[in-house]
This record gives sequence, C-alpha cells and structure tokens, in this order.
Amino acid sequence: MGKSLAFHSYKGGTGKTSLVVNLGALFAKQGANVCLLDYDFRAPSLNVLFKAKPKFWLNDYLEEKCGIIDTLVDESDRLNLRGKLWVGFANPLLEALKDIMSKDRKWEVKALTKTLACKKEIFEKKKVDYLLFDTSPGAQYSSINALAGADLISLVMKADEFDLEGTKELSKGVYEALGRKSGIVLNKIPIEQIAAGGGAEKFGKQIESDMGLPLVGMIPCMCELMAYGGKIIYTIEKPEHTFTKSLSEIGETLKKMSVT
Amino acid sequence: MSSRGADSVLVDLLKKMNRNMETISKKLDRLIELQRPSGGQGARPNISLPEDMPLDVTTLLSLPDHLRKSALGLATLREATATDLSKETGRVRAVESDYLNQLVSMGLVKKKRKGRDVYFYVET
Repeated sequence: MGKSLAFHSYKGGTGKTSLVVNLGALFAKQGANVCLLDYDFRAPSLNVLFKAKPKFWLNDYLEEKCGIIDTLVDESDRLNLRGKLWVGFANPLLEALKDIMSKDRKWEVKALTKTLACKKEIFEKKKVDYLLFDTSPGAQYSSINALAGADLISLVMKADEFDLEGTKELSKGVYEALGRKSGIVLNKIPIEQIAAGGGAEKFGKQIESDMGLPLVGMIPCMCELMAYGGKIIYTIEKPEHTFTKSLSEIGETLKKMSVT
Repeated sequence: MSSRGADSVLVDLLKKMNRNMETISKKLDRLIELQRPSGGQGARPNISLPEDMPLDVTTLLSLPDHLRKSALGLATLREATATDLSKETGRVRAVESDYLNQLVSMGLVKKKRKGRDVYFYVET
C-alpha cells in the first residue's frame, strides 16, 4: 500500500502548490508511481502548470458524476518520467468555484467519505506509491477532508509571526485531533533570517521547539521562483538548482517519515 | 471413527466455540456498560448536538479522541460491523461496539441489521 501526503498551510502563498508539483515530479522521475490531487477547490492551479483539459474534474467525482480514476490524467510520458505521474484537477471555472462555496454540511459528509474512498481506489487500481494532496489554506472543508485522508501532513509555512501563531492553532486543533503525523516545511526563508537565527541548524531547532513538530526541511527564499512559478517544473528542468536540491532532501525525509 | 464422522464432530465443536465466543462478547459489552467510569475515555460524552447533525469534518473534530477514531474509521469503511471497525482501528470489538452505539445515540451514525450482523454506516 502506498502513502498519502497532504500539503497544507495556515495562510495562502506559502508555496504548497510549487512544492507538491515539484515533489510529485521528482518522485516520478526517480521511478515511483505518483498521483497528485488538486484539493484546492477555491483556487485551483495545477491545471495552469499542466495546461490540462481533463474529461472530468475532481469536482465531478465528488458530485458522483464519474469515478476517481476517470479524473486522472497521465502526465508521465509528456514529461518523460520513469515512473507514472497521474494528476486529478479541480475545476477552475467561476461556476464551479461558486458551486463549491454553496455546499451544505450534508454534502461535505459525502465529500469526506468519497475522499477517504478515493485514496484506497487509487492505491489499488493505479499501484501508486505516493498520493499527494494540494489543499486550500486554513480550515476549509475540502482541506480538512484531504488531511483526514492523509497518512502524513506537511505544514508549509514561512517563518513570520502570523504564520507561526496560526499554524500552531491548526496543528493543535486539526492535525493532532485527526491523529495524523505531521512535520514542518519552512519555505521562502530569507538568508538574513537564517543568519540572524544563528545558522540553519539552530534556526530549524528553534522552529521545531516553538511549534512542537519535527522540521522536514527548509527552502531559502529565491526571487527567481516568483518569476517562473507556475511555468516550469524545477525538479525536471533544473536538476542542479538550489530549489531542486532542497526538495530532494525534503523528499527523502518525507519518504522516511511516511514509513515510520 | 470415520473421516466424515470426525469432520462432523469438528464442525459441531467449531459451531459451539463460535456460540460461546458470541456469548462472551455480549457479556463483555454489558460489563463495559456497567463499569463505565463517570469520566475518562470510556465515559459517555456530554455533547449536545442539534438534530440531524451530519458527520462532517467539523463535527468529527469536536468529538472526543476515542469516538473520533471510531467515526473516522467508519467514514473510511462507509459501512461496517464492530468487528470490521476493530480491524481498522486496532481496538477490541467490544470497545468499538460501545463507541459505535454512542455515535448512534448521538445521531451521527446509523445502524441496521443484516441477518445476524449489525452494520453501522454514515448516512450520505
């Protein structure tokens, strides 16, 4: 059985989508079978990067208009990957966004059970090693549904006070309550902040101590990523880039955490 | 004794063992009910929920840990006996049976009988 990993954050703009796409592509490049699901129904974005026009969206699956396997698009041949990379996209059309916002709690029960069920089906039918959920920030229904379906939660955060305080609340109120293993990915960290914190190791230990969670990894702030975000997959196109190297370390740590 | 006769004795013995196990299980359920402390993990949660409250994630998060584990396990299986759920959660059947019935009395989970088995499910 494969492992499911959800990437979540308290605030938006922490870099979850970039992380999910690049990690998924990296795992598939290394030979693993990977499935990415865009569970950010309020601001879908994977479709932009993959230029996707799927026959069915993940919204259709939750509405029981198709099976989960019908939503998956195989991107592995196009990207020339050793393993498989399937992607399930959320519908970015305004009508779909409005529809998701109007759902009642009874619909959310169905969405929860379907999210839990899709995980099993994807692992069994597609022989997936890693199922990665990209989620909406904060305590959105769809995000918490995905977190409930995950074996491991990666909290993606910047190291400012707003993120720290909010993420602590999420960690206590949601991750711990769901009984899910979780770890922190520090993203967009200015070099000056790391230096002021006494170097990467000391800075990381301080964050671990503040948050009460293990640090999965740290990615320095790079302006270049802003320019190319949503346009290229670094782990495929720029294997020697600092971002790719940081993600390789994070990927290895996540693999280890998901089996212990 | 012939081979067929030995098989028949064995089948009878297994049936008797099964009946005894069911009796023990029911007694355990009753013992748990009688010995439930006034507080702690086995206690009935003092949660008042509006009628027809669905088992969505916000309700899940408001449940005490021991019931949340059962509810989440049942949401994963969608429909299950206490025995099925005990395999999912790793807790004993009698405990799961008790927790599931607490969830039923809170209106979060439904149950139905199929033959001799009681199935619990999340209404969607």
